[in-house]
Amino acid sequence: MLKGHLDMIVLAALSAGPAHGYAVIEEIKRRSAGAFDLPEGTIYPVLHRLEQAGLLAGRWVTADSGRRRRVYTITKRGQRELDERQAVWEQFSDAIRSLTKGRRPWRNPA
Amino acid sequence: MAEPGVISEYLERLAKALDFDPALSRRVRREVEDHLREAVAADPTGDGREAERRAVAKFGDPHIIATHFAVVSLGKQARRVGFAAMVAIAVAFIAMKARLGWYALMECPTGPMGTLGEALVSIDRCAFWVAVLSGTVGWIYIDRRRIPTTLTPEYGAQLHRFVLLSWATIAALMASVISDGVLTAIRLVAAPWSFDAMIPLASMLIELLCAGMLLVSIRDMTQRTASTGRAARTA
Repeated sequence: MLKGHLDMIVLAALSAGPAHGYAVIEEIKRRSAGAFDLPEGTIYPVLHRLEQAGLLAGRWVTADSGRRRRVYTITKRGQRELDERQAVWEQFSDAIRSLTKGRRPWRNPA
Repeated sequence: MAEPGVISEYLERLAKALDFDPALSRRVRREVEDHLREAVAADPTGDGREAERRAVAKFGDPHIIATHFAVVSLGKQARRVGFAAMVAIAVAFIAMKARLGWYALMECPTGPMGTLGEALVSIDRCAFWVAVLSGTVGWIYIDRRRIPTTLTPEYGAQLHRFVLLSWATIAALMASVISDGVLTAIRLVAAPWSFDAMIPLASMLIELLCAGMLLVSIRDMTQRTASTGRAARTA
């Protein structure tokens, strides 16, 4: 299930500000209180794909350690995509909550 | 002899698994090295070698990671091929128009060239428009597809459709270029040899080169699509 939402998870982690791959993974762990402890290598193909799609912008910088690292920033298009996905997710989440708690039917089942 | 580091060994394996795309392999290696070194630095145990082992284990199997990158890389390659097809068609069209312009400038006879000539003109025209149509449809089609995290059956089917469209494009473009080549040869053979003949020959060479380069890139993409599909099934 997590696999289908990796794009949203990565975009959400980067909505706080630019970060490199390691920091993105740490941010995901921190914000999910450790619930999303993914195999770390799976995040990099997602970062590359989102950059390719124009949802992230990447640039090489030199870290304090002297190593070169790639820092990713969410683009305007990426932020729009995140907002859209969040809206869909919240609608879905509300619907499931209503269903499982036996409340009245939700307004939009899509 | 010094024992190779766990991270260096891991990076070698990852780079090798990504050797289908040398530029991507170099970039990923550099990025992953920074990640692993940072993970080691943040490890609370302070045991360097053990920290390296833990960082590598948490990062995951290099072959599975390479399979995910292969899908991204294949998606990019397919989009490049779609764009290259449009460029090849445009260059072939310009070369053809330049050649006709040259004939007009040099007042070369452009009258009837017999039944074969007329048939070739029809084949050329028809094949060229088929190439334009299938190339445009293929380019728009693949450019609008979202590249998934893994090679899903849906994306596999979309790539398969694009590969078929690409082969239709190159077949039609080749038919157009070959009929153009025969027409040019008929025209040049009929006229006395002069240095001026180099212009139509050069334009034909450009058309052939474009079609040839597109053929090679479509063949490479077809092979990559097949190998990525096999790797995804075994990962």
